Formats: sequence, structure tokens, C-alpha cells
Amino acid sequence: MIIVENLSFSYTKSPFISGMSFSVPEGEIFGFLGPSGAGKSTLQKILIGMLRTYQGSCLVNGIECKNRTKNFYENIGVDFEFSTMYEKLTARENLQFFSSLYEKKPRPIDELLETVGLEQDADKRVADYSKGMKSRLSFIKALLHDPTLLCLDEPTSGLDPANSRIMKHMILEERAKGKTILLTTHNMQDAAELCDRVAFIVNGKICALDSPHNLIMSKGAATVTYTWVENGEHRASCPLEQISSDERLKNLIAKNRLQSIHSSEPTLNDIFMDVTGRTLL
Amino acid sequence: MRLKKLFLLDMRFQAKYGFYLLYVVLTVIYIAALFALPENWKEKAAAILIFSDPASMGLFFMGAIVLLEKSQHTTCALAVSPVHATEYVIAKVSSLSAISLVVAAILALAADADNLHIVLFGTFISSVIFTLFGIIVATKIASLNQFILWTVPIEAVCFVPAILHLFKITPAWCGYYPVNVCMDMVSGHSSSAIGFLGVAATIIILFVFSRLFVRQMWDSMGGVKL
Repeated sequence: MIIVENLSFSYTKSPFISGMSFSVPEGEIFGFLGPSGAGKSTLQKILIGMLRTYQGSCLVNGIECKNRTKNFYENIGVDFEFSTMYEKLTARENLQFFSSLYEKKPRPIDELLETVGLEQDADKRVADYSKGMKSRLSFIKALLHDPTLLCLDEPTSGLDPANSRIMKHMILEERAKGKTILLTTHNMQDAAELCDRVAFIVNGKICALDSPHNLIMSKGAATVTYTWVENGEHRASCPLEQISSDERLKNLIAKNRLQSIHSSEPTLNDIFMDVTGRTLL
Repeated sequence: MRLKKLFLLDMRFQAKYGFYLLYVVLTVIYIAALFALPENWKEKAAAILIFSDPASMGLFFMGAIVLLEKSQHTTCALAVSPVHATEYVIAKVSSLSAISLVVAAILALAADADNLHIVLFGTFISSVIFTLFGIIVATKIASLNQFILWTVPIEAVCFVPAILHLFKITPAWCGYYPVNVCMDMVSGHSSSAIGFLGVAATIIILFVFSRLFVRQMWDSMGGVKL
């Protein structure tokens, strides 16, 4: 679906993206994670054919992005971080218009509106929508023509937890239908929940690329933390793989003196900081 | 099909932003002005009114339309859609020409102008030229002030010669100048084949540049200065 080889790009004379190579197979949710200005949005713009002055190769659906024609967009759905709707038209009018630009038969507008809970507001002007409503509307706009590749930029930004949950459920449903999804986000929790693989991008380079689970497991072992009471409460930790050699823990278990015990894994955010030395914000 | 949808959307957009309402009001004012003028002034006054407003509205309104589209990021949505720059330009030109023709027809009828079909054809080609100029400028600007500034030279090279030509105070060879050919037709007079060829060539050149600049505007949505 996507093959990127030795990709370099620059807005000025100094390189902004350099030597990037990766591939994304069909039916995968692939996340670009990185702090602001790291190059993830630029990379996404290259992949959707908006930036065509790059070096190297970038194949999407078998088409070199720099040579794309407008038909390239028949199979790509883009959800920008901002609203791209005609503000004085209603949600329904916007969706009807944008769906009419594609050759494919559009997905039923009412069904899509209902899925994101906007059916009651379908005939309201987009200018009167809240930020969260606009996000949901933009998301279903990207699905209208049933594209094989979905590019989502911060899809849960501005959403309350319930709508964020609905959105994530819809993204997973699209993957189940075989769609390839590129997700650009700051939100590590979203990435860990949704992505099959993630790429950490810092300073225009991929610092790490793997599944969230493998990244977490390879870089940081889970630890076990336990507490007990002996002249006051005490706490101790040990790595999960060394649990059988922790004599104090074995002793406390044997005497049933443990007050609490729990295991904890590093988060994707911890791994990101470990790998890149940067925070996401 | 897609062209038709773009054309209808542009008309709806213009209606929602009050362009049509504005032209209803302006047309009433223009008709009142025409009726207030002496009979022998009416024909030339109608030609000036038609040429300087409905025929050239594309030059003035294109800045507002494209800036509104940019502010709502719909330009980004179109940049990543199968819409071609050619379709975008044709839809804009035809939607603005449609309202130009209606207003021009009402004014010409009010002035009891001769050769209505020539007046309307002249209005149409003038509208095409001015709208294409409007698109070229609008794709390159980021504010209404910039747009106004950049349209001044276009107004100077289009309106001054055309009005002087209408009052026959220009040399004969100026009759081939494309905007003068348009003014001849707007005032109900046909033009020579050479004049028509000049207009056709102007439209083709402006169309090619409009299309190129729309493509560049869409590409610049990616963040690259072109």
C-alpha cells in the first residue's frame, strides 16, 4: 500500500526530512508520533501528494506521489486537524457536495451522521457547530467515498471521552474492512490503543518503528511494586523477570504479609522519552 | 457532472454570502439612475454601468470568494479531492457570468438598448476576462487589502481605455484592444474578426494562467512557497 524509500524533503536549504524509509501494508493502522515540528505532518502531506518536491521514492497505492494526478484522490480520504467545510452550508449540504466530487457511489450520509451522533444537527449550519462536532463531521467527510487509504490528523482532538471512544471504534471498524490508516497524533494513549505499528519521528527522522507492544516490551521491563507493614508501611520494587529471585518478596508471600502488589509497564510516552530524549509537547 | 456540482455550489455560496441580494439592490439603484438620465444619454450610461459592474464583478468578487474559501480551509479539501483546476476555474467563471448576464439583461432592457444579443455576448466575454483576472490575483494574495492593491493596475488598463473608446476619443487601432472590443459589444455594436481573435487569445492566455495559479495555490496548501 505505502512504500517509502530514502525520502528527503526540505522547505528551505537545510533538510527537514532526511533518509526516511518504511512501508505500510494494506489493512494496517500506522501511527506517526512526534513533538510539534518533528516532521510528521510534512510526511503525511507528502504521502497525500500535497508536497511533491521531495527526493527519494514514495509510493502510495502503486503511484509515485510526486507524479500523482487528481484521480489519485479517488482512493484517499483525508481528515485534517482543522475543519474544511463551507461554514454557511449545513452539514448535510457539505457532505452531499463533497461526496458528489468522487466517481464512486458515496456511503449513505444519514448513516454516517448517525454513527457520530450528528443526525439531529445534520441541517444545522457548520458555522454553528462546536469544535468537537466539526471534528466528527470532518472525520465522516473523509469516509464518504469509501477510500482505501485514510489519513487522519489528530482525529480525537477536541473530543469528549465518549465521542473519542466512538471515533476510535469507527477507526478500528475501518481497519477491519481492510482500510489502511495513517494516524498522526500527539496522543500516546490513542496511538497505543489504535496503531498496529508506530514510528517515532524527531527532527525529520524515524527514531524507532515497531508495534506499541514491542516498543514497550523491548525498551522497558515491567516492574512489580509491593508494600508491607513492619514498623510502618514499606514499599519495594523489582523487575518482573527477576521476581523469583526477590527473597524478601518470597518471604512476604510465604508469611501472607503483603499489603499490596501490582505490576506496571512503561507507557508508550515513557518509551518515546527514552528513545528520543524528548517529550511530545 | 462534477463541473455541474461545482457550478451549483458556487452559486449557492454566492447566494449564502448575499451576493445576489446585493445585486438586486444595485440593479434597482442602476435602473433608477438610468430612468433619471436624459434619453440620449441612456445608451452610453447603460454600457458604462454594464461594463463597470455586472461584466467586471468577477474581478472584484473573486478576491472575497477565494479568501473566504481559504479562511474556511475548503481550498485544502479541494486540493485533496479529484477536482481539477480546470473544473474549478470554469465553475467560478460560469457562476459569476450567470449573474452578470441576468443583471446586464435587466439594465439593457431598462435602457431600451439595441442588439440585446450582442450586449449580452459582450457582457459574457467581459465577465469571463474579468473573472479570470480575479482568479489570477486572488490565488496569490492573503488579504483583501492585497487584493484591492493588485486589482488597481488591472482596473487602470481595462476601464480607462474602454471608457475612452466608448466616447471615441482613442485612435482607430485601439478598437482591436480586447477590452475595447468588449466595450463595443456591451454598447450593442459588433466587432471585427481581428477584434474577436484578440479577445479569444486573451481568454485563452488568462485561462491557462488561472489554471496554473489555482494548481499552485492548491500545492501551496502543503506549506511550500512556490
